[in-house]
Amino acid sequence: MLSLFISYLVPLLVLALLLWPRRGYLWRWRRLVRLSGRVLLEDGLKHLYDCEYRRRTASVESLAGVLEVPRSRAAQVLIQLEAMRMASSTLEEGVALTPTGREEALRIIRVHRLWERHLAERTGVSRVRWHEEAEWQEHHLSAEEAEMLSEEMGHPAYDPHGDPIPTAKGEVPPQSSLPLTALNEWELGRIEHVEDEPVEVYQRLIEAGLHPGVLVQLTRLNEEEVRLVADGQHHSLPPVMAGNLFVYPVDEEMPGPYDSLDDLELDESAKVVRISPACRGLERRRLMDIGLVPGTAVSMEMRSPTGDPKAYQIRGATIALRRHQARHIQIERGLDERATAAQPNVSAEQQI
Amino acid sequence: MQEHTPSEKILERVGALRWKAGHDFHDELVESLYTDAARIADRAVTRKGERGRFDMDRTIDRLVTSRWLGFPLMLLMLTVVFWLTIEGANYPSAMLATLLVDTVRPLLHSGATTIGLPWWLSGLLIDGIYLAMAWVISVMLPPMAIFFPLFTLLEDFGYLPRVAFNLDGLFRRAGAHGKQALTMAMGFGCNAAAIVSTRVIDSPRERLIAIITNNFALCNGRWPTQILVATIFIGGLAPAHLAGLVSAAAVVSVAVLGIVLTFVVSWALSRTVLKGEASAFSLELPPYRPPQILRTIYTSVIDRTLIVLWRAVVFAIPAGAVIWLASNIQVADLSLAEHFINFTGPFGAFVGLNGVILLAYVIAIPANEIVIPTILMLTVLTARLAGAGDGAGVMFEPDSLEANAEVLRAGGWTLLTAINLMLFSLVHNPCSTTIYTIYRETKSAKWTTVATLLPVVMGFVMCFVVAQVWRLFS
Repeated sequence: MLSLFISYLVPLLVLALLLWPRRGYLWRWRRLVRLSGRVLLEDGLKHLYDCEYRRRTASVESLAGVLEVPRSRAAQVLIQLEAMRMASSTLEEGVALTPTGREEALRIIRVHRLWERHLAERTGVSRVRWHEEAEWQEHHLSAEEAEMLSEEMGHPAYDPHGDPIPTAKGEVPPQSSLPLTALNEWELGRIEHVEDEPVEVYQRLIEAGLHPGVLVQLTRLNEEEVRLVADGQHHSLPPVMAGNLFVYPVDEEMPGPYDSLDDLELDESAKVVRISPACRGLERRRLMDIGLVPGTAVSMEMRSPTGDPKAYQIRGATIALRRHQARHIQIERGLDERATAAQPNVSAEQQI
Repeated sequence: MQEHTPSEKILERVGALRWKAGHDFHDELVESLYTDAARIADRAVTRKGERGRFDMDRTIDRLVTSRWLGFPLMLLMLTVVFWLTIEGANYPSAMLATLLVDTVRPLLHSGATTIGLPWWLSGLLIDGIYLAMAWVISVMLPPMAIFFPLFTLLEDFGYLPRVAFNLDGLFRRAGAHGKQALTMAMGFGCNAAAIVSTRVIDSPRERLIAIITNNFALCNGRWPTQILVATIFIGGLAPAHLAGLVSAAAVVSVAVLGIVLTFVVSWALSRTVLKGEASAFSLELPPYRPPQILRTIYTSVIDRTLIVLWRAVVFAIPAGAVIWLASNIQVADLSLAEHFINFTGPFGAFVGLNGVILLAYVIAIPANEIVIPTILMLTVLTARLAGAGDGAGVMFEPDSLEANAEVLRAGGWTLLTAINLMLFSLVHNPCSTTIYTIYRETKSAKWTTVATLLPVVMGFVMCFVVAQVWRLFS
């Protein structure tokens, strides 16, 4: 019985594992090989476009570095791209994209950035993994699927790192932002783009609260460190890291610094000034859903036994928020002490 | 053709402006809409005579969420609900059992004899299928009909959101959603109903965590097993006047272990396969209000109790047939059940259980309620006890505790078997009703498989470790 099983079933099982359509090892292996060939080509196109956008020169060396392949393989990729009439190389200008190549590159970048935006707005995938997930997804989504995704999100113009999402026709605005280190001391700039590679640097910048849309002020700039104020907090960064932040200069006053909702003591009231620009998308809308808009009066109502979450009195309802959310809500304390103490739900009176 | 028609010019202008609208113009637009809406509402709506919050509400809130009293009050409330459920269900359960098992079954049997059904058909239909249904209804219906209305009353009164508020700190550290506290509490009544209730969690990642870990909330169907085994084997260790307290403490520790496992497994999941950021958490704590008792009872009986009971009955029918057939089909002088028990016996002993328990848990996948009657029947069958039980394939439960204890001791049970059965009853696959519900809610065969197999594997590992430690020290 057992020998029968071994002599018939086991070989059958092995064969099935190998040859099963779409799931067998052989099929998977073939797909992997074909895919990695296409993936390399597409990543190569992206690199060429990136160089063009940032006005740098692309070469076999830069391509090999970005694709993490030997130089010989990178050269192969270039030759293949040229054969496909997607790129052309001249002695003076190095490698450049042809119009067809640019179109194709923009299509891939569009999928990449749309997917990052989708991850940021609709899912709980952590920030540091957005890029990696999109790197995979960009090779799998068709132009139609990308269009559906874009429509579903209301045709967003920018990805969560602040990069423009090419339109379906392949339009992008000219690059306008500067690296943070190009600002003068005491000059104000708004962060437009946070470079998402290398991921370790990106993670540290994000943890420091340096998101696109945040206003920063350079307070010191020298060889060893860059000091800046953002959202009322002081930061010190090595210049290499600061170079990954891209800003455009603005002519505004530095707002704040503000306290956050989390700083409120029990029974203390305050008025909402704004929700921090670091809080975006779904999370931001959720906070506005419960009525946390500029001008709303809030007071701290109770603290849970573990200290987090705390419950706040907002427009007549008691709502519990975690510290992580409460920190995004910037407030001015003690403005309406008299009114709020008498009646927590004062916003009705104030406006009349 | 002109080079630029007016509409083309407009489109061109729009295309250029698109990039200048700012990064978050969607967010800004929404924000200004909200701000305007709030301003208009504040101007137009007069809230005459409305007070912010009643002092009474505030006092209760400060008490039930206080640092020192919050958790003890919660445990007390939970204990009271369980106590009411268990005590209150005893009498109607016994009545239903008397009616369905002791009265209707003999009637059915005599009816079958009158119309001349062959013994195997009446055995299969009456002793197998009908009896399984009868056990499920009499053990399951009364506790559910008490627990769910009580649960809904607490929900209605406004206490449950405060429980979620209190426990959120712990769930946050486990990477889960605070509302999982609600679904966990619901799971103490019925895991299948609790899986449906995870819809209150809107982040898919955190909802999956809540679904997978819900099985660690000890459901009503498993309480009878815990109580019986604890009373016989653990209560029996203590002096008579403490026996009740000791066995109750044993059952509560198993339930608390379930809560601990919920946190541990949630934590592990949110750091491995279900990695991700905590979603926005906002929980409204509504004002306290007197619950609408009649409506609550009606809706909770219709929506929760009857639906769950119906599913359990549907799944119990094939189980009854399997139990009867397995005990009555003889191959080489032994029934199929005995073959299975002998075959899995060594593995059972290896993890500190036995073949009877393993078979009972395979057969009782449709409903945990029939674990104890099945174990008793199988023990009588394999130990060949004379005078006990009602025959092969007929589930039963003796009237007295002593008779129960006698049967189990004759089956070779020790204190280790008892402890491991209690652990395995907490940590094993969900019942088929729950598995089906998980599939319906997640629409994913993969997560259904994870939710099913993860606890079984954990249960075996746990029992094995306990058995090894036990053998080391005894």
